Amino acid sequence: MKIILDHIMPVPLASIQHGSESIWGNYIELEQGKHILLNASSGKGKSTFTMTTIGLRRDYDGVLTYDGKDIKSFAPDDWTTIRQEKISVVYQDLQLFPNLTVAENLILKNKLKNVYSEIELKQMLELLEIDNKWGQRCGLLSMGQQQRLAIVRSLCQPFQWLIMDEPYSHLDEVNAKKCMGLIDKRCAEQNAGFVLTTLGDSHGYQYDQELKL
Amino acid sequence: MLNKLLFKNQDRKQLVIAMIGAFMGITFLITSIHYLIKVNEFGQGADILGPNTIIVQKKVSNSSSLNLTKTDFSKNEIKSMIDEPFIKDVRPVISNNFDVSFQTDDPMVPYFRTDVFIQTVDENFLDVKTTKWHWSKGDQFVPIIMPREFLVMLNTFMSASGIPQVSDDLAMGIKFKFKLWNSEKQIEERVDAKIIGFTNEVSSLLVPESFMKYGNDMYSDGSDQKITQIMISGEESQFGLVEDLLTKRGLESKNSQMMIGRLKSVVGTLILVVLGVSIIAVFVSGLVLIQYMQLLMSRNLYEVRTLMRMGYHPSELIKTFFIYFVKIFGYVAGIGVLIFFGFKFFLDNMFDEGGLYIDKGLTWQSIVVLALSYGLFAFASFRSAKKEIFKQY
Repeated sequence: MKIILDHIMPVPLASIQHGSESIWGNYIELEQGKHILLNASSGKGKSTFTMTTIGLRRDYDGVLTYDGKDIKSFAPDDWTTIRQEKISVVYQDLQLFPNLTVAENLILKNKLKNVYSEIELKQMLELLEIDNKWGQRCGLLSMGQQQRLAIVRSLCQPFQWLIMDEPYSHLDEVNAKKCMGLIDKRCAEQNAGFVLTTLGDSHGYQYDQELKL
Repeated sequence: MLNKLLFKNQDRKQLVIAMIGAFMGITFLITSIHYLIKVNEFGQGADILGPNTIIVQKKVSNSSSLNLTKTDFSKNEIKSMIDEPFIKDVRPVISNNFDVSFQTDDPMVPYFRTDVFIQTVDENFLDVKTTKWHWSKGDQFVPIIMPREFLVMLNTFMSASGIPQVSDDLAMGIKFKFKLWNSEKQIEERVDAKIIGFTNEVSSLLVPESFMKYGNDMYSDGSDQKITQIMISGEESQFGLVEDLLTKRGLESKNSQMMIGRLKSVVGTLILVVLGVSIIAVFVSGLVLIQYMQLLMSRNLYEVRTLMRMGYHPSELIKTFFIYFVKIFGYVAGIGVLIFFGFKFFLDNMFDEGGLYIDKGLTWQSIVVLALSYGLFAFASFRSAKKEIFKQY
């Protein structure tokens, strides 16, 4: 799925002067399968980009399309299909359910498309060293553990794009690399691309395209 | 798992209070509707006269005995009564204007003959099938409705003659004859007759209008026909107004008819009050439940929004809330029905002990009202859930 940001200008950012390479106000194409990095300091609009690109914010000028279709024309049925099959997201605030267990958080997502078995889910958690938290309430996990859980949850669906908003902000380098390995593998399986927003650090990852704000 | 996520961390105290209010409202609603209908049905079928119908005449005073005041009804008097909003209909009771006698004509019963007074009333006032209540010249017999006191008199006579007494059903098998005659014209005729029903409310033999017209045409002595009795059919639960009208106009009726009408009116009005309160209670408790649902949804805004972002369709979440609350109202309605049966057992016995023998069966109307309340609540829950969830979309 090709995502095009055709001269998108979020209303809250309209009064700010943006550079000539900025994604805001320019024509940007996100080709399926590409690994894209969005590296910017705090407050520059990384989350605005994420929320706008996945259709959760509509306060912008310009046209944003998925495969040539303006996303403002999509009905709830279209968004449900997109969120189940085409775009997966790791939110900056993770959007987990603190009163449910780790297992329940994963199963609630996984059962929509039945991508993984329970054993496979546990194996992914094991790889990220949180398999012992399987039956524990999510709210009791550390931020780093919750970030790993949110990443595993985002992989529990088929997708063409994985949009990640500062997914490693609470992770050490080792765990961040483990997560990236898991993400790379899953993207390769599906010929999917990802957009990774980071806070001034590329974490040494290889990427095909870098977006500027 | 969705239920655990959305409903586990709720304040159940509010839910329980809303449920108690709703089930009390439902219980009183179906109980009051049931008894409102049963009380209105009370007396129906017990007599051949239709429900809420009385026969009235003018009070006979000393002056009317001396022919100083009239005891018959004019057309204007009848019309002014029909115009009253609490009166459904008024019709004259037509009497015979010719000589007529009534006799047994059956080898199974002893010969019995008496001069009688026959009357006819509009068939709309009678609780009898119109196909049975018809006569034309050449028919095998004239259908008659007999005063029960006449049957008592007949049975007394049979008992005195050493013959077994007859029940209602047997009496309806006995052959009778009318003899109509006019002494001046020196003509007479005999017509077979058969009882098709009994009445406690009329003291004369009732015959179809066509037979009365035939008798009056053929055997009348030529005098003017006066209307001394009329039938009044009142609206349900407005018998007090009918009674006031009778008093104001100096009319009287059989006491038993008045008593039943008054009793039904009083009990009916009381139950109507309970019904009104119950409708308000159901409405308010329904609103409380819906409000509780909205409160629950507002506490779950994060969950609802996140689930939709994860790929859950809004319809699935609407369905989850809808089914949860429909189940809750189902429990409420179920408990309400159980309590209703408890009330019914208690109230039926109480009515029996008080001499008000009402039918013990269920009324379909109370079931319909229950289903309607349930349907309305389900619809309101669905609309509310849909509105709240799409607000988060």
